[in-house]
Amino acid sequence: MIDVNNSTYHDKVVIRLIQFSVIWAVVAMTVGVYLSAELIWPTIDFGQFWLSFGRLRPLHTNGILFGFGVSALMGTAFYSVQRTSHVPLFAPKLAWFCCFAWQLVVLTGGISLLGGMTSSKEYAELEWPFDIAITIVWVCFGIVFFGTIATRKIKQIYISNWFYGSLIIVIAMLHIVNSLAIPVSLTKSYSIYAGAQDAVVQWWYGHNAVGFLMTGGYLGMMYYFLPKQAGRPIWSYRLSVVAFWAFVYSYIWAGPHHLHFSAIPEWVQSLAVVMSIILLLPSWASMINGIMTVSTAWEKLKTDPALKFIVLSLAFYGLATFEGPMMALRSVNVVSHFTDWTIGHVHSGALGWNAMVTYGTFYFLVPRLVGVELHSVRLANIHFWLALAGTMLYIIAMWGAGVSQGLLWLSIDEIGELSFSFKDIMSSMTPYYALRLVAGLIFLGGTVLMAYNLFMTLKGRDAVVVKVPPVDPAYGVNS
Amino acid sequence: MNDRSYSFLLFKSLYQPSIAFEELAKVDPSPFNILIRYSIWLLILPPAFSLIGAANFGWRLGAAEPLMLPTNTLVLVSVAYLCVLIFGLLSTAFISRWMASTYGASTSLGRHVALITIVGEPLAIASVAHLYPDVFVNILILIPTMIWSMYLLYKGIPIVLETPPERGMLMASSLVGWLLVAAVSLLGLSVMLWTLGVGPLLGV
Repeated sequence: MIDVNNSTYHDKVVIRLIQFSVIWAVVAMTVGVYLSAELIWPTIDFGQFWLSFGRLRPLHTNGILFGFGVSALMGTAFYSVQRTSHVPLFAPKLAWFCCFAWQLVVLTGGISLLGGMTSSKEYAELEWPFDIAITIVWVCFGIVFFGTIATRKIKQIYISNWFYGSLIIVIAMLHIVNSLAIPVSLTKSYSIYAGAQDAVVQWWYGHNAVGFLMTGGYLGMMYYFLPKQAGRPIWSYRLSVVAFWAFVYSYIWAGPHHLHFSAIPEWVQSLAVVMSIILLLPSWASMINGIMTVSTAWEKLKTDPALKFIVLSLAFYGLATFEGPMMALRSVNVVSHFTDWTIGHVHSGALGWNAMVTYGTFYFLVPRLVGVELHSVRLANIHFWLALAGTMLYIIAMWGAGVSQGLLWLSIDEIGELSFSFKDIMSSMTPYYALRLVAGLIFLGGTVLMAYNLFMTLKGRDAVVVKVPPVDPAYGVNS
Repeated sequence: MNDRSYSFLLFKSLYQPSIAFEELAKVDPSPFNILIRYSIWLLILPPAFSLIGAANFGWRLGAAEPLMLPTNTLVLVSVAYLCVLIFGLLSTAFISRWMASTYGASTSLGRHVALITIVGEPLAIASVAHLYPDVFVNILILIPTMIWSMYLLYKGIPIVLETPPERGMLMASSLVGWLLVAAVSLLGLSVMLWTLGVGPLLGV
């Protein structure tokens, strides 16, 4: 048994994961900016295969999702699960293994993508040796996380841990099932699913990676760090639990809305539409819970630059979780599908929600981890406005581009022929792509400011030693 | 209160918004009065400009030929545009008043209608860009205007609704959430109408 009174939290691994996450954010966003420039000036790949759009694009998405996103989620999960369980991390050496092994997977995986190794499944492009490595690290992540919960000193399992737990279990399930493949060489494999089944499994994975990683995991972050920053308990704990189960139940069905008007059965598409609309309820329940929690803690805004990020992230979360079900409707999807509107939608979630809530959490967490003030509150405030401006500009540019594309692609003349050629439509998108490039540069600029600010805050400092506090008997103590 | 004294809503708010906000905070106008005398005239501008521009030049979506629509369709679209704007103004004002109790702000509906009118005024004026109906040109003009409107929203709420700036910031962010959802709903609704056969001829 762990002697609570003499044990301390393991926070060094949290700092390291945050550092890796920030590095990946800068790298992967830079790749994103380069990609958006390639869409304006296609020749800037200089004839190099590894600089081509097809290879850089998965590097951008994998770098953001698995480098920036998972490192942040792993770090914040390790931090919060200790505090909410009143015990240090279970198997801390395994936690360190997760930290470094994960970075190695992302780094080598990224290089393999540049080298042209790909399964060609979106967000699951990495080939089978990496899939196995991811599975091993992920299982270790699960052992550390659930091991900590199993040894907890407090009876209740706090809501953030339910969300982080669902992230670990569901991503493991999705990753293993979707990555099942027959290897033909060290660098190439073929999916065991064929045709429409492959598409359904792929989007069951793809949509729920968005659901459980970019929504569930980040809701875990929000449910722990927002009440912490606000210095208030969550507005309605009951609502958070109801939202959790409704979220888990409804999200898993929504994937086929990515496959409207395709060869998959129509009832599967219809089911996905219905479930996508139902999904709005748990999504907004969590948003309202967050907004109401912070609404009583407004004095904190005077001193805390981080809280602003989380407040605004909730507004974009509200937008993205409304826009998604709307785009799942067939009558909207027929125009929006395959257009840049989808790219805009993804980024309203990824920039407005995921990145902002992570930035807010990092600004809150890093100074506390090393026991100093943030290096520059002013830079953080500038970052806030850059992040907001970049996100808004990005979304609006893609709305304009997407709706124009959808309209032009489908426009027919009096005799029923297509009015415009695909090539003409795409070449006319250049101004929007230029606007998007500016938006990306603004957002990246803010992220670089944060990286500098956090680097200066951490520079030469070590994690503060925090003793595990005793559990208030009112909450129920596990022996 | 003399109705004429509200003219600062339209004019002073453009070049001295802080003073206009402070003047608004001193009064308790009738929402109907504000709507009929001021808001509605601003709301008419975008559909009117859009009708004139689209009828004469056709919307340019980027590709070579502009999208010419029959006049009766354009009138229908403009009337729908006006209805949506009126609905948008009123729903935002009511939602803003509903939020006010959470953020300790004034619940005078007249002030909420007036504030939303001031916030939306730059956008209504910038909709003059609709006279040159090129989507990209309109986006280029309306984005900075929208940033200015957002600034007015964040600046105006604490002054007009008499709440501390930090609480005002939270309320403004919540309203931005609503406005983003409203904007994307408008986009979705338009697309649904197009697929139903209202507006441009689509092969769906």
